[in-house]
Amino acid sequence: MTTSTENPPVPRGLASLLLVGLLGACTTTPLAPNGTCVEDLTVQATCGATIDGGTPASLGLTGYSCTGTARPDDHPSYVQGVPQGMICADQATPDGGTSGGSGYCCTTPTTPCAYNPVAICGAGTYGYQCQGSIRPESFNVELTCEQGVPDNGLIDYCCSGTGLTAGCQEKDTLASCVAGLTGWLCPTGVLPRGEDLGANKSRADNYFLLCPVPTASLQTGYDTFCCYPPATTPPNSTCIQDTTVPGCAPGRFGFACYGDDKPEQSYLPMTCPDPGVPGTSYQGYPATLYCCDFMAG
Amino acid sequence: MPNRTGRRGDHEPELITKQTHPISPGLLGIFWAASAVAGAACDKNNDIAAVTYTCGTSGVASDPTLIGAGVMADCGDVDMQLPPEPMLPATPTDPACIIKANQVTDETTWIPDETNVIADTTRLNTALAACPVVKVQADGTNNSLVVAHVILTSATLWIDGGVTLYASRDPSLYQSTGNCGVLGVNDSAACNDFITVNGASPAIVGDGIIDGQGGEPLVGHDYSWWQMSDALQNIDGSIGNPTLINLKTGVTGFLLYKITLHNSPKFHVKITSTPAGGAFAADGTDNCTAAGVGFTVWGITILTPSRWLNSQGLLMSPHFSRNTDGVDPGETSVATCGVIAHNTISTGDDHIALKGGHWVSGVLIAHNHFGTGHGMSIGSETYGAFTTLDGKVHYGVENVTVCDLTIDADSRPVGQGASSGDFNGIRVKSDSSRGGMVNNINFRNICMRDVNNAILMSTAYNPLFAGTMYPMFKTMLFQNIHDVTCMNVVAPVVTLNGFSPALPAGPITLDDVVVDNIGPAAVESAFANLVLGPGNVNFAGFIPTANDATVSNKITDDTSPTGCDFPALPAPQPPPGWLR
Repeated sequence: MTTSTENPPVPRGLASLLLVGLLGACTTTPLAPNGTCVEDLTVQATCGATIDGGTPASLGLTGYSCTGTARPDDHPSYVQGVPQGMICADQATPDGGTSGGSGYCCTTPTTPCAYNPVAICGAGTYGYQCQGSIRPESFNVELTCEQGVPDNGLIDYCCSGTGLTAGCQEKDTLASCVAGLTGWLCPTGVLPRGEDLGANKSRADNYFLLCPVPTASLQTGYDTFCCYPPATTPPNSTCIQDTTVPGCAPGRFGFACYGDDKPEQSYLPMTCPDPGVPGTSYQGYPATLYCCDFMAG
Repeated sequence: MPNRTGRRGDHEPELITKQTHPISPGLLGIFWAASAVAGAACDKNNDIAAVTYTCGTSGVASDPTLIGAGVMADCGDVDMQLPPEPMLPATPTDPACIIKANQVTDETTWIPDETNVIADTTRLNTALAACPVVKVQADGTNNSLVVAHVILTSATLWIDGGVTLYASRDPSLYQSTGNCGVLGVNDSAACNDFITVNGASPAIVGDGIIDGQGGEPLVGHDYSWWQMSDALQNIDGSIGNPTLINLKTGVTGFLLYKITLHNSPKFHVKITSTPAGGAFAADGTDNCTAAGVGFTVWGITILTPSRWLNSQGLLMSPHFSRNTDGVDPGETSVATCGVIAHNTISTGDDHIALKGGHWVSGVLIAHNHFGTGHGMSIGSETYGAFTTLDGKVHYGVENVTVCDLTIDADSRPVGQGASSGDFNGIRVKSDSSRGGMVNNINFRNICMRDVNNAILMSTAYNPLFAGTMYPMFKTMLFQNIHDVTCMNVVAPVVTLNGFSPALPAGPITLDDVVVDNIGPAAVESAFANLVLGPGNVNFAGFIPTANDATVSNKITDDTSPTGCDFPALPAPQPPPGWLR
């Protein structure tokens, strides 16, 4: 088998970019790592878990401390298109103060996952791109990852070694939601995600939600949303949810379209009464911005 | 025509590639028919080593030693635990408890008339509220009745032979959240059930048919329940179509006997049922005094879709009838002390799925025959934690034995568009959004033909799902398992995965497990402790160990895969003039 090392993937077309954008795992220009990593026994002591509540074990993880922006896993390879690299979990505790950098617990460099330095993930999370049916958490028990996003035969993940942001709560009883919309209560700054729908909804937690500009909740520090689970996203759609569209009032649905299509073409229950306005999407790209309303069936 | 795989001699199995042209799963049925005509070409031939190429269906004189032949001794200790076959009740003497069919349907009648649905539903529900047994029977040539949202509480609904009880196609009669019948809305609670079951010892019995009409256009619309479900397929969404039979929390001693179920809009039977008084009494007494005291499903037939075409000429296929699970214990709440025996199931999703979102325990699944479908499954919900009256907490799915089962992917034509998932075998599936304990599961004496996933034990059956409820797969036994090839050109796959080094699966014992035509790349294993033997495991050398899979090889007998016998299963009759 021929082994070749390639650079990490760049965005694979607009559709892919838009899809991952909807789910929070988009891509941007990477910054070159600045610093170095070395194995660190102090960090090593924080790696691993107990097996079935029993003996602590490192579970194949190695501790590293890094300076600057360097990470132990920031040089992945792609072998015939298959990602291969370490999976590293950042540790909340510092590395003992020897370098002033960060601590990581890492797998061997042979997992089918590659650190993705060009992924845009939420605060405190970072990206991996993996092949196959095994999620990154299985290789590295110190890690927690968000919903996966298909990407041309691979799967993109946003992960954290220190835990994910508290999610939203589905509120079926939110009185302000019209039929067809689902109510949500979220910490300020957090959008409802597919996985927040919970495990009891068999086969139903793999879809994304379209949510409007948030409405401040009476509960301090929280917002409410009335969200719509779209049936499908046409593969040629260029419109993505954007809750930062200027002038779009709370409760209305903001969209950023990168092409000539309009939101109501992709999301049938939407009606956009005003023409689009040139602007910048929340991702920082030029787009036509729309403010739309959900029309109950 | 005989259809057996004999026990092989000392020869190593060889890959059988008798077909020179690739054949899609969707065409299997056609080639099956051709092979059935060709006859002997597919029979066992003792002169050829390692014959694993078996087509056709069994004749009357089956070899009783083969799996699938229906010999009670096949399951040994399990058969000792099975209850006697249930019986039909006495015919009610009160005329108010007899509901007569009021229209005629036959093979030329595509869909029954809906004019009297509301009145007929009231008539049936009134009788069920007043009578311990309600019998729906023919009235002269009238053999059909159409109703909607039936309420069955602590009573027996008896559908007599020759009678079909149709579920109305009018979504307004099942309305729950306002989204019932609304295309494109992912609202799994949108509709009420066709039959909602409550109370103590409820039963649905008889030689008749219950037809959900899932593939027929809804009243007032040009699309069907199944088309609504398919519209959400791209997002793996969950449509809120009516469940054909849904047991509510608190049911005890449910019985489903002999009935034939067709074309459910969504799941056919969702079971939550325990022994009277719950699984355990407050003093810790186990109320499972005999197998099946919690629930019994015996001698039923599920065939979905039941026709090749709907009334609009649209081709019906298992793939088209999405999310039509056959029998799902534990879907709504706890299911314990159950028996699922002597049933035939061919549908568009899991044949049986033990759902551990609450707690499923003590289930015997014996002497069943499956056709197309997504498998004899456990999961995907396994995260349940349930506290019984004695204060003890029970988890997920445990104490289940599956014995004497055939899964035959060649049992019916499937049409174009069939997917790989329509031909699954044994599955234990979960993921980190809904994972939990699966323990003490025994799969014994199982034969499969032309399935794609022969054995799938996956802790990330859809790796997109996120969460921190990690699957914990514990003790499982796969014993006397044989997957044979008739004409499938897709190499079968075996997956044996735990979740992580901290949560490995196991011990997983494989004893006499032979998957014909399997290749090195078709076996996946990670984070699992596997014990092989003493019977042969023909893919033992293919099990990868790089990702924390350990293999303890105790194989001492590599000669004798279990023999199989595949009975003919019900299949839709093709339109006149069609070749199968």
